[in-house]
Amino acid sequence: MGNLLVQTTWFIPFYGLIGAMLTLPWAMRLIRRTGPRPAAYINLLMSAIAFLHGSLVFILTWGKAPQQMVWHWLNVADLDLTLAMEISPVSLGALALVTSVSLVTLIYGLGYMEKDWSLARFFGLMGFFEAALSGIALSDSLLLSYGLLELLTLSTYLLVGFWYAQPLVVTAARDAFLTKRVGDIILLMGVVALSSYGVGLTFTEIGEWTETANLAPWSATLLGLALIAGPVGKCAQFPLNLWLDEAMEAPSPASLMRNSIVVTSGAYVLIKLHPIFELSPIVKEVLMAIGLVTAIGASFVAIAQIDLKRALSHSTSAYLGLVFVAVGLGRLDIALLLLLIHAIAKTLMFMSVGSIILTTNDQNITQMGGLWSKMPVTTISYIVGASGLVVLLPLGNFWVMGQWIQSFNSLPQWLLAFVLIINALSAINLTRVFRLVFLGEPQPKTRRAPEVNWPMAFPMVAVIIIALLAPLIPQRWQLWFAGTGSLATTAEVLQQPEMILLVLSGIVGVILGGTIALPRTWVRPVRSSSRFLQDFLAYDLYLDRLYRWSVVLMVELASKFSAWLDRYIIDGAVNLVGFGTLFSGQSLKYSASGQSQFYLLTILIGGALLLMLMINWSF
Amino acid sequence: MLSALIWIPVIGGIIIGFLPNQLAEKSRSLALVIGSIILAFTLAIGLQFDPNQSGLFLSESFSWLDQLGLTYYLGVDGLALPLIFINSFLTLIAIYTSSTKLARPRFYYALLLFLSAGTAGAFLAQNVLLFFLFYEVELIPLYFLIAIWGGTNRGYAATKFLLYTAISGALVLASFLGIVWLTGASSFDYDVLRSQVLPLSSQIILLLILLAGFAIKIPFFPFHTWLPDAHVEASTPISVLLAGVLLKLGTYGLLRFGIGLFPDAWNLLAPYLAIWAAVSALFGALAAIAQKDMKRVVAYSSIAHMAYILLAAAAATPLSLTAAVAQMISHGLISALLFLLVGVVGKKTGTRDVDTLRGLLNPERGLPIIGSLLILGVMASAGIPGMAGFISEFIVFRGSFSVFPIATLLCLVGTGLTAVYFLLMINRVFFGRLPLAFSNLPAVPWSDHVPAIVLAILIVTLGLQPNWLVRWSETQTASLSNFDTETLAEVRPASRSLLQPGQSIKESQWWRSL
Repeated sequence: MGNLLVQTTWFIPFYGLIGAMLTLPWAMRLIRRTGPRPAAYINLLMSAIAFLHGSLVFILTWGKAPQQMVWHWLNVADLDLTLAMEISPVSLGALALVTSVSLVTLIYGLGYMEKDWSLARFFGLMGFFEAALSGIALSDSLLLSYGLLELLTLSTYLLVGFWYAQPLVVTAARDAFLTKRVGDIILLMGVVALSSYGVGLTFTEIGEWTETANLAPWSATLLGLALIAGPVGKCAQFPLNLWLDEAMEAPSPASLMRNSIVVTSGAYVLIKLHPIFELSPIVKEVLMAIGLVTAIGASFVAIAQIDLKRALSHSTSAYLGLVFVAVGLGRLDIALLLLLIHAIAKTLMFMSVGSIILTTNDQNITQMGGLWSKMPVTTISYIVGASGLVVLLPLGNFWVMGQWIQSFNSLPQWLLAFVLIINALSAINLTRVFRLVFLGEPQPKTRRAPEVNWPMAFPMVAVIIIALLAPLIPQRWQLWFAGTGSLATTAEVLQQPEMILLVLSGIVGVILGGTIALPRTWVRPVRSSSRFLQDFLAYDLYLDRLYRWSVVLMVELASKFSAWLDRYIIDGAVNLVGFGTLFSGQSLKYSASGQSQFYLLTILIGGALLLMLMINWSF
Repeated sequence: MLSALIWIPVIGGIIIGFLPNQLAEKSRSLALVIGSIILAFTLAIGLQFDPNQSGLFLSESFSWLDQLGLTYYLGVDGLALPLIFINSFLTLIAIYTSSTKLARPRFYYALLLFLSAGTAGAFLAQNVLLFFLFYEVELIPLYFLIAIWGGTNRGYAATKFLLYTAISGALVLASFLGIVWLTGASSFDYDVLRSQVLPLSSQIILLLILLAGFAIKIPFFPFHTWLPDAHVEASTPISVLLAGVLLKLGTYGLLRFGIGLFPDAWNLLAPYLAIWAAVSALFGALAAIAQKDMKRVVAYSSIAHMAYILLAAAAATPLSLTAAVAQMISHGLISALLFLLVGVVGKKTGTRDVDTLRGLLNPERGLPIIGSLLILGVMASAGIPGMAGFISEFIVFRGSFSVFPIATLLCLVGTGLTAVYFLLMINRVFFGRLPLAFSNLPAVPWSDHVPAIVLAILIVTLGLQPNWLVRWSETQTASLSNFDTETLAEVRPASRSLLQPGQSIKESQWWRSL
């Protein structure tokens, strides 16, 4: 039995897919009598089975050597495309994360989407989402991961566009798809190039190839840059970061998945690709630069947001920036830990945010207040999630940062400064949001705000417990890539002097966030300098306008030019020839006068012209 | 056996054409029966095919006009078989989707069957003169199908189509005649011509003429302007056939005659062909963004996607040639699906204007299933994995990258742009709020969904199991690409050395090869 479970690990992603397929009769309204809820139950069941199966395999294979499953997908001419899956602690850990977050999200989603008329379609899409994500977790082949990333792009489009009748949703879905697609296409260029070098596309083969690869520096750089483009888009890193902010138009459970595990999947592929980045120092520097710019920029932008979900989604970009820096430094273990802790914390915070939005029907934090006594579970979720992110209390990120700092013999000054800044900014932002939403006097929209129903409250409580226990996960199961050393003990972490600085930065952030004036009427400052600053940050540094007037304008002009060329020059020439033929035929008929002299003259002129042409040609 | 593919539809067409007046209603059912018989026959032929064997696995030959060198010589190999299958399949779909309330149904179905016969004949012909005859014969029914059952501006479109493709035929014929005159070959049989040796200079001239001829048919930029007009005016089933099968005659000709008859010249011109492919792909994609008519968007996308076949053919590696055939099949299926669905939208709403249509995904009063299927088709066209479009484009790019890296990357940009224009179309037409003007759309009966669903299932199946897409033609195209390596070394020493299977590219030769 155990053996069978391990051997069928590859089937785990298909549970989600089957669930999605089975919702079709309800989504297509073939079955109307039962209402859409059976579709949701089927998906929940499939998700639970996937979670159980994954967990059992995790337990059964613990301590055993990693296994690989390989399929020869396509064998044509000199090309042999293989798809591979890996059963290792890391991949099964990632799978456990995906299936557990999916499961709690689906339960939560049943409560959140209760009154939506297309509940079945929502659950179908979520099942599809889960399938693609668990596939990425298990995948050991770049081609398979690429394909699944693309399917994620597609399902993001469909989920963001879920309420497609709203104008903002339409542009959000479009931008999310196209932005990610830019990254995906560049990634595909990298995949095609890599495959052309004669490399098999499993990560194992790529790893072996990099050891002996003899590439010119610039092509190694180009290859590396192409390969990071996909994760940059998926993790909402600069310059492909704007879609995540817009994607907050999606239903909250979908936003939850996106901010916790979808961004994680992009970074996960990035981590798997790291051997290639070792070929070129420039790529690693670019990775770090992207991470730094995004983390700092997004942290500032987050502070100026008044939309509840957007304030948190920019913080997602910022933490993923930290992951990019870690990968650039070659610290894959830290990157994985950061991803795990961040995913759990964001799951919890977005559950809390979803509850607030459902109860108040509002996302504007300047119109909220005093929710702490009315929605206790929601409040605790927010607090636990936020303290998991900020280095202050000995929860999630405290230990991750401690590990990171402890592992350096001499910590680079810039990195310490960077982490301190991000931590302080994040603390300011989260405290600010907390004050506006939960503290203060109740506002009209929050005055009658009951706690959410049990399908939403139950998963929240469950994740609170997980988040509190999260620091123990890496100690119980060391999810390392082989050879990166072992975990530092608690004492070692606490002995680091830099930890005091980090905690101090957290305290400073909380104090700043707790004391800055946030009058609710003062949504836009009167003074023009601070007004400019606020607008600059609130409108995402005007990046969208920058794109509007650069890339988008370029494509638009090029397409207008092509259409003009097509219509007036090419087709114009064709029509002119047609018209010319008709016209000359029409006019020739008037020359048919019957006078033989005229015909003779025509023949003579024609003959002379022909003769001249032929003489010219022959020379 | 092979003749049946030509003569069953011809005889069927004649019978339908001469049905008595009171039976005219039955012509559609009769055409469906004949279409099914053709498809069954095609499948029966396919069953005899052994993918590991190259060359013709079935052939028929009768002497006809021996003085002219024209023989009735039919044959089928791995290159032609998938295209014949697509032809029979889409013919049946075209008959099925034709409106039940047509004017002059007998003439219509007879023409449709003649069209199928002409196309099958062109794919089967092993004598180049015979190929030319079928290539021309197929124009006549198509001209009438556009000119009689087309839209408001059908006269202009049909005449434009006829003039363009007649010139295309004349150029192709000129090239074929040129070979025979210059080599003094005794017949127009393909095998005979292949064994002839021509000096490089005359090969180049003849190949250029041939290329111009097929470039009009496929079509490539700047010979393409007949295509959007023809698609816009043609009725849905005709658009399906035009995009799905008839354009493939051109790319089939490129592979079979361009590479097959003029290998040395082909190699010499290949770098320019690759650039041409990139220009055509980018032009088609960019022009599609600016279009307002849904059918025009799909038509320009067709131009862009056919250019990938030219890229693959130019690279002429064993992989890329197989990829070219795979791309023909998947483009045939995907564009057929897109034209079908756009046709339904046009029929139900009365317009195909992207600025007017909105919110059609509405589940109660819109066209939700048509919309969902169109999203699937669009995503397949944009190369989302899991569908046939992705894998065929992937192997096109993978096969061409080592030879023409820059042209391949430009074509990849074109793939990215596919998502742009199709997404803009979907967003405008299907998302948003359903306006009052479209809130009482007639329901789409299930029978109208059937062909689109069948196509969608095929596209997804081939995308998940691509072996079924490439296995047909792999051996055959490998023999096509078996150039004489010594002459190649003289023609293009730098890049040809890259073509040995399994050999990775060398750094320094990346740029030189373009």
